[in-house]
Amino acid sequence: MKIEIKNLCKKFDNNIVLKDISLTIEKNKSTIILGQSGCGKSVLIKTLYQLFNFDSGTILYDGRNYVDIDKFSMLFQYGALFDSLKISENIAFTDFINNKSNFDRKVLSLMSDVGLDKSTYGKYPSEISGGMKKRVGLARALYKNPKVIFLDEPTTGLDPINSDKINELILKVISKRKITAVSITHDIKSAIKTGDHYYFIHNGVIQDKGDCKKILKTKNKIFKKFITGARY
Amino acid sequence: MKFIESIGEVPIKFFSNLGKFILFILFFFKYLFKPKFYFKKNLTYFVNIFISSIPIISLTGIFSGMVLALQSYTGFSRFSAESAIPNIVVLTLTRELGPVLTGLMISARVGSSIAAEIATMRVTEQIDALKTLNTNYYNYLVTPRVLSLTLALPVFVTLVDFIGVMGGYLVSIHRLGFNDNLYLLNTIEFLNLADYLSGIYKAISFGFIISIVSCYCGLFSDKGAFGVGSATTNAVVISSILILSSNYFLTELFF
Repeated sequence: MKIEIKNLCKKFDNNIVLKDISLTIEKNKSTIILGQSGCGKSVLIKTLYQLFNFDSGTILYDGRNYVDIDKFSMLFQYGALFDSLKISENIAFTDFINNKSNFDRKVLSLMSDVGLDKSTYGKYPSEISGGMKKRVGLARALYKNPKVIFLDEPTTGLDPINSDKINELILKVISKRKITAVSITHDIKSAIKTGDHYYFIHNGVIQDKGDCKKILKTKNKIFKKFITGARY
Repeated sequence: MKFIESIGEVPIKFFSNLGKFILFILFFFKYLFKPKFYFKKNLTYFVNIFISSIPIISLTGIFSGMVLALQSYTGFSRFSAESAIPNIVVLTLTRELGPVLTGLMISARVGSSIAAEIATMRVTEQIDALKTLNTNYYNYLVTPRVLSLTLALPVFVTLVDFIGVMGGYLVSIHRLGFNDNLYLLNTIEFLNLADYLSGIYKAISFGFIISIVSCYCGLFSDKGAFGVGSATTNAVVISSILILSSNYFLTELFF
């Protein structure tokens, strides 16, 4: 699914979070939204997901201004797993709450795809590590076979080894399932590794855009400063 | 200038929250009659509330009844009207103390836990996750809690009434030297169905107040640990005040 955003503005009370944002998310490509904490990245993807209304501008999903959100999925920053439900119930949430019981095979297959051991099937989120929670979150996001997956800082809070594993997993999943991915991050290494195109947001405005493989060659001063800061 | 602004800010915030709360109640009724009614979740929630609250409710009932019998004796013995004690105990419990004390205890026991649970879900983005999974949080979170508590409170009040009367009976027989048959006879004869039902109507109202306020405070909490804490406090304080104030109007209604 191709998503086109034109002149998007969003404010909370008197605080303008997104100012005149225009960008295109290409079908079956991985688009990375980069920026500092609080620059409006999360608001942007939640607006694209139709969780927030926007004040002005247009968002077109394959040329239409409305889409069934069942075609979307999201991996949250800290997993956002439901504490009171087991891992299997979290992954197959929609089927579980509708009292459908034959989701075991699909859940196990997804768990294997995201590299989760079978032993976690009956565990609760509080019994597994941060990296495993991300994997469960990814499995839950993939359960409904989305056309677009939104990834909210997928490597935040993980050590470098686990970050690499999650990045590889995301790459594998995107290419295998041929889905459009929109990731937000401030991790340059992850952006280069998992992205096709990038947009850099600063204070609610797009400051720079381009090919992820050429991020380090950017001429934009603010983005350069961001990259330098991000390196230490 | 800032001082004047801050004075104006308080009523604006109050009326804005009041409007949000009224809208929240209207949405609750809207989704109550819409499909996707999670029956299993409702039943589970009802059973959980019931089992977890029984001990606290029983203690509230027995001690209230015992104290009521002792205090009534102190007053009535001055007029040689000790025989009115069974009537006073049963009437006070069924019409007033049963629903109000149960409401206050349940608001502290269950209301706080509802607010804390939902506020934590909000802080950890679980509410957003529900939306992304195309699940309506009114159907999934609010309806089961409101229905369960609104239906559970009359059961709790009946239990408190019964245990409270038994508490009064124990104190009156063993401490104050009443005749046990006479005490029970006076209790049963004096109690009307209308007395019991007025307490039950109050219980239904209080159950609704506690659950809807707690869900609202949880869902619209501020972020972070402070947000969860203040949501919990607000849920208990607001529902307690609403219980006590609405109790007066309900009493006027059944007077």
